[in-house]
Amino acid sequence: MLFLPAMTGGVRVAFDQIGKRFGNRTVLARVSGVLEPGRVVVVAGPNGSGKSTLLNILAGVLRPSRGTVSYRSGDGELPRGRWFERLGVAAPDMAVYEELSALENLGFFARVRGLRAGAGEHAALLEELGLGPREHRRPVGTFSSGMKQRVKLALAVLHDPAVLLLDEPSSNLDEAGHRVVAALVERFRARAAVAVASNDPREIAWGDARIELAL
Amino acid sequence: MRASSLLSEALAVLGKEWTSELRSRVALNAIGLFALTTLIAVAYQIGPYRISEADRPFLLAALLWIILFFAASSGLARVFVKEEDAHTAKTLRLAARPAAVFAGKLLFNLILLLCLEALIVPLYCALMGFAVRSVAGLALVLAFGAVALASTATIVAAIIARASGSGTLFAILTVPLALPLLVFLIQGTRAAAQADAIAAVFPALRAIVSLAGVTLVASVYLFPVVWHD
Amino acid sequence: MTETKRPSWWPWLLFVWMVVVIWAAFYYAPSARGFKGESARIVFFHVPQAWVAVLAFCVNLVFSIRYLRRRDALDDARAAAAARLGLVFAVLATVTGSLFARVMWNHFWNWDPREVSIAILLLIYFAYFALREAVADEERRGALSASYAVLAFVTMPFLIFVVPRIYWSLHPDTIINTRGSIDMESRMLHVLIGSLVGFTGLFFWLYALDVRLARLRQKHQQRGEV
Repeated sequence: MLFLPAMTGGVRVAFDQIGKRFGNRTVLARVSGVLEPGRVVVVAGPNGSGKSTLLNILAGVLRPSRGTVSYRSGDGELPRGRWFERLGVAAPDMAVYEELSALENLGFFARVRGLRAGAGEHAALLEELGLGPREHRRPVGTFSSGMKQRVKLALAVLHDPAVLLLDEPSSNLDEAGHRVVAALVERFRARAAVAVASNDPREIAWGDARIELAL
Repeated sequence: MRASSLLSEALAVLGKEWTSELRSRVALNAIGLFALTTLIAVAYQIGPYRISEADRPFLLAALLWIILFFAASSGLARVFVKEEDAHTAKTLRLAARPAAVFAGKLLFNLILLLCLEALIVPLYCALMGFAVRSVAGLALVLAFGAVALASTATIVAAIIARASGSGTLFAILTVPLALPLLVFLIQGTRAAAQADAIAAVFPALRAIVSLAGVTLVASVYLFPVVWHD
Repeated sequence: MTETKRPSWWPWLLFVWMVVVIWAAFYYAPSARGFKGESARIVFFHVPQAWVAVLAFCVNLVFSIRYLRRRDALDDARAAAAARLGLVFAVLATVTGSLFARVMWNHFWNWDPREVSIAILLLIYFAYFALREAVADEERRGALSASYAVLAFVTMPFLIFVVPRIYWSLHPDTIINTRGSIDMESRMLHVLIGSLVGFTGLFFWLYALDVRLARLRQKHQQRGEV
């Protein structure tokens, strides 16, 4: 196992009556649920039903118009400003630095998160996600979209998050890539609170619980 | 399990900014070219001879800061706008403490400004015949002026990056905030040009340092609000 | 701030008050000595306008800070309402001041410290609205414009108190500060104070209308969602 030792216990994310309105358009209405270690929650629904919006709200990047989100760990309730420390997110609207190489990206994000892992561990992580050693030092800007997706996934799990939010994680990936993501989800199923937003039936099949969003 | 300090995280952000900038050189080119072009245009038309001796300290001090300010404005916003444009802002938001992000980017802008001053000021003095009697005084004004200007520019850059990100909006928002600062910078530069004693710049320097302090304190409170939704 | 049920005669009282003030400015107040013709009378309007422009800025600041703490959309509406009015009065103050300067000193602009302050206030208002226009999302718009208002506010003391001292020494020509250096005869003082009260009342009336509109709009919007 190349991940760092888990942080203090698991985190339970509870969200209640979440609603989100953009101007006059209501995107989410009365969505509730719980994310906890041991089960994967899948957020499914047609395009535009608010899957990404819900994940953004759960990540603390967006404020809900209504409802509450709470992160509870063994130490008590986590304030919103500290969610990111225990959180790993991979989403289509999150990019990595294209002027930097894959290793430099991981190195930067590790340093900025206060992690001590070295280049060797990062290289191992990238390989596990399907990026060969030859790719590690090339600028990410030269990568294909599938390779970029693998770097994004590496960033999401770099710090061994207690909460993992994946928005369409296998997008841009081939069969091998899809298997890599499936293995990742399996590995985190027991140790982290995982949520996957997807339209892909194969990804939906990973879920133990399902939140169905409608337009 | 945070093994690092705010400083090391801020330095990590700074390091990333510098690495990115050295590889793409967009901001460096924009700022440098703008400054050089303006300087050459001004020097060619005005040069060392066309301004009367009595007016020199006033006019030359003012012109210098006009060149520096507008050159800086063409590149200082990039530090945040680039993140939003490249969609890396959300990734950074979910990985770093706001204070570290602001500190790192502020330091980057500060270094950029200091490099700009180091390039332009000697050239300006040579081309325009700007004789500065208190070089130490001028150095102080330039150094603290850079801190104050970088502070204002960085928080405004953070604001406009979350809006439309346009350079025009950056200029519109920065000008009212920077005007008092510019007055003091010009006044301090003029004092350094006219007097031998370093103490001549102290009145203006006091104001510059206070402005820098006030802007920094306000930014510390405002940045998390601006950075997160 | 709860909505007080203002009696409907309030705007009419204000109307009568302003009419009296305008009349008094021309007929009740005596001619000022040392001024070209009757030009001094513009002071009765110019000073209150400048005062309201600054008052509006302060109201905007208070509600900006409140919005940042409570994220109540109504606080943002209040801040914007105050800023809109502040902009109008800042423009009026600049124009009336400029006209007066033209008559008195033959120049529309003199770089008097107070002129510079009101001009920069104008720039701040323009910037504030330019920023608001550039943000589509309501909450973000409120947060960003409130942040800018706070930033502008902390810079203002330098403008108002420190810069004038610097400028004074740069420009040796004494520029008479019309408000400070003239002994106001008691009648002129009456009119000036009456005008101040009137313009302040005007500001609060218009502001209350704007806020009421925002409140209704918000209720309508809330009813629109399930």
